[in-house]
Amino acid sequence: MTHPQIAAFARVAKENEPPVRTLEGHKTLISRTMHGFSYDPIHDEIVVNSPLSQAILTFRGGANGEEPPIRVIQGPKTKILGADTGALSTVTSDPDHNEIFLPVGKGYRSGGTGGVQGVYVFDRLANGDVAPKRILTGPDTLISSATPQVAVDPVRKLLIVKSGGALLIFDREANGNTKPLRIIKGPKTGGFGGGQIATYPEKGWILTNSRDDWAVWSVEDNGDVAPRWRIPVKELTGGGRQNAGIAVIPKAKEIMIASSQMNKVVTFYFPEMFE
Amino acid sequence: MILAATVAVVVGIFSFSSIQTPELRRSTGGPQLVSVQELPNSDFCQPGYEALPEASRAFDVFGRSSVYAGSQASGQTGVINRPPMRTIRDMDPIYSSVAVDLNFDEVVLMDNNNWALRIFNRLDNTPPGVPFTQPKRVIQGPETDIQYNNGIYIDPKNGDIYSVETDTGDEVVVFPRDANGNVKPARILETPHRGFALAVDEARQELYVGVQHPPEVAVYRKGASGDEKPLRSLRGESTRLSDVHGVALDTKNQLMFVTNWGHVSDASTAGTGRFEDPSISVYPMGSAGDTAPLRVIQGSKTQLNWPAQMALDTETGDIYVANDIGHSVVVFKRNDQGNVAPARVIKGNRTGLMNPSGVFVDTKHNELWASNFGNSSAVVYPLDANGNVAPVRTIRSAPEGKVSLKFGKVEALAYDVGRDQVWVPN
Repeated sequence: MTHPQIAAFARVAKENEPPVRTLEGHKTLISRTMHGFSYDPIHDEIVVNSPLSQAILTFRGGANGEEPPIRVIQGPKTKILGADTGALSTVTSDPDHNEIFLPVGKGYRSGGTGGVQGVYVFDRLANGDVAPKRILTGPDTLISSATPQVAVDPVRKLLIVKSGGALLIFDREANGNTKPLRIIKGPKTGGFGGGQIATYPEKGWILTNSRDDWAVWSVEDNGDVAPRWRIPVKELTGGGRQNAGIAVIPKAKEIMIASSQMNKVVTFYFPEMFE
Repeated sequence: MILAATVAVVVGIFSFSSIQTPELRRSTGGPQLVSVQELPNSDFCQPGYEALPEASRAFDVFGRSSVYAGSQASGQTGVINRPPMRTIRDMDPIYSSVAVDLNFDEVVLMDNNNWALRIFNRLDNTPPGVPFTQPKRVIQGPETDIQYNNGIYIDPKNGDIYSVETDTGDEVVVFPRDANGNVKPARILETPHRGFALAVDEARQELYVGVQHPPEVAVYRKGASGDEKPLRSLRGESTRLSDVHGVALDTKNQLMFVTNWGHVSDASTAGTGRFEDPSISVYPMGSAGDTAPLRVIQGSKTQLNWPAQMALDTETGDIYVANDIGHSVVVFKRNDQGNVAPARVIKGNRTGLMNPSGVFVDTKHNELWASNFGNSSAVVYPLDANGNVAPVRTIRSAPEGKVSLKFGKVEALAYDVGRDQVWVPN
């Protein structure tokens, strides 16, 4: 991509309305392929991956311009591998439990990265060359894909991993070669896409893209389960694949979706999910 | 407020019987109160340009319908058919690169936002107060295979246009000079993921493709197509390549210049990541494998900050660099090395530069072109320009003062609840 940036827009921004601030430039240490990241409302911080340099960056929530991160996780002890072709493309924070979850995959190249497929968990305040607190990996986890994604339900203390055409639901503190508590997988799901995954813990919902649509499951779902709701994003927005990004806005009962192939962000009013 | 609530109830009642809903509440044989809510703000249901195909607007009337979730037992799914309320999108071109066809006096601008190549007359100049200049031709559409295009090259003899598709495309597409509209490329060459920069050695008929990461410069036959493999590739730790964004060839002195952003790691070895200062590394043109550069321009004096495309004046040895975050074009000398200040810097409020990412040297007319990622324009200067100089011409594709959203494959979001803002990364 030409110009990596993390741009903040007013929630109600419209077409051609510029961002209110933008993180960009060498000192920020950001790079391309930021396919999933988090805002931590408790500590007012932004956590984002810097995949080309195998790093996790944390910024002030009010960061602007060419502002350096306040913490950088990087180095041999981190065991972070990537980015070959897709691996290490997302990161998720759990501010309630002061942890950062980094899913790692095999990348898209035929031979893969040869590294761990699973989820690294770092302390939120980790800085420098720090080892993960936990690593969820192994055949029993069923985590096996080019670019797994994760989300946390801090209320029910669950970790949801999207990998291998399934939603794998673990205990939030799962470690090592642990089986998922529940698996949502099968033809009734409609399949999953490669984008972000989010939760709405107040109601126990999981939001993720399903092919070119967005869909919602319950964290209690198990097996071959159809989604509770589906938004046919591609049809409603006039085309485009990879409707990959998601933001959940409870105060306005909206969800925002980033369409990487249409290069735009669309907002849907979706009160049903919040009621 | 009472009126709003009443409208909401009426719309809710109407839509309740009109949408396919699973697991509806038990029928009472009459209308039911679904919900009472405040109406959204006034921008609700404003369809954005083509964001809503005509067919989907039929759903506008149901914009406030409730669709209840299916239970796990029912196996049914509530389908939300409301069109989007709002769209954040840049409606104008976002230019990533520029090249000039000196035989036909045309300039081609790469539109990274709308996946297009826009062709203008070389002497076009958008007057003040005019919102934009209409291009002569636009190559755009699904048949073209253009997507997130960055590097451009124009064949100096026949005018063929080469475009590298950086991300979702992973290929170089080649169009004849007079291509227009939604047309298939004359030739497609599959290239590594994250290909970004293009250059051609006409004497050897070789095509150079700079790849961001894992960083490399892959060299193909100029006429290569399909899955033809590169003749050679420069890659490896010794090369000091990192997040490659520009490749320029000095055919007179057989040198290759590469811009690097300093995002370093061995993608096959965990924990090898590190950050370095941006740089320009210099190699013999035939370099292959894990070859160290002859010299490197790097350090605080260079002003390099996300240096993008480069162009070279072979006669003078001046290297022109589009310096994105510096909002500048910095000019180095062929033999510069180490932490050296640029020989010239075009920068300032008169230049019209905003996040420039493409440059082109026109030695026939002694002009320098720069394309701006930040304001939908391309600007032209005398080749010896220096300092805070106004361009001699500007091609704008948006009104003066336009600030680009600089979107480039937006793929994730995060919501800042305290500030009521949404973070959008490229």
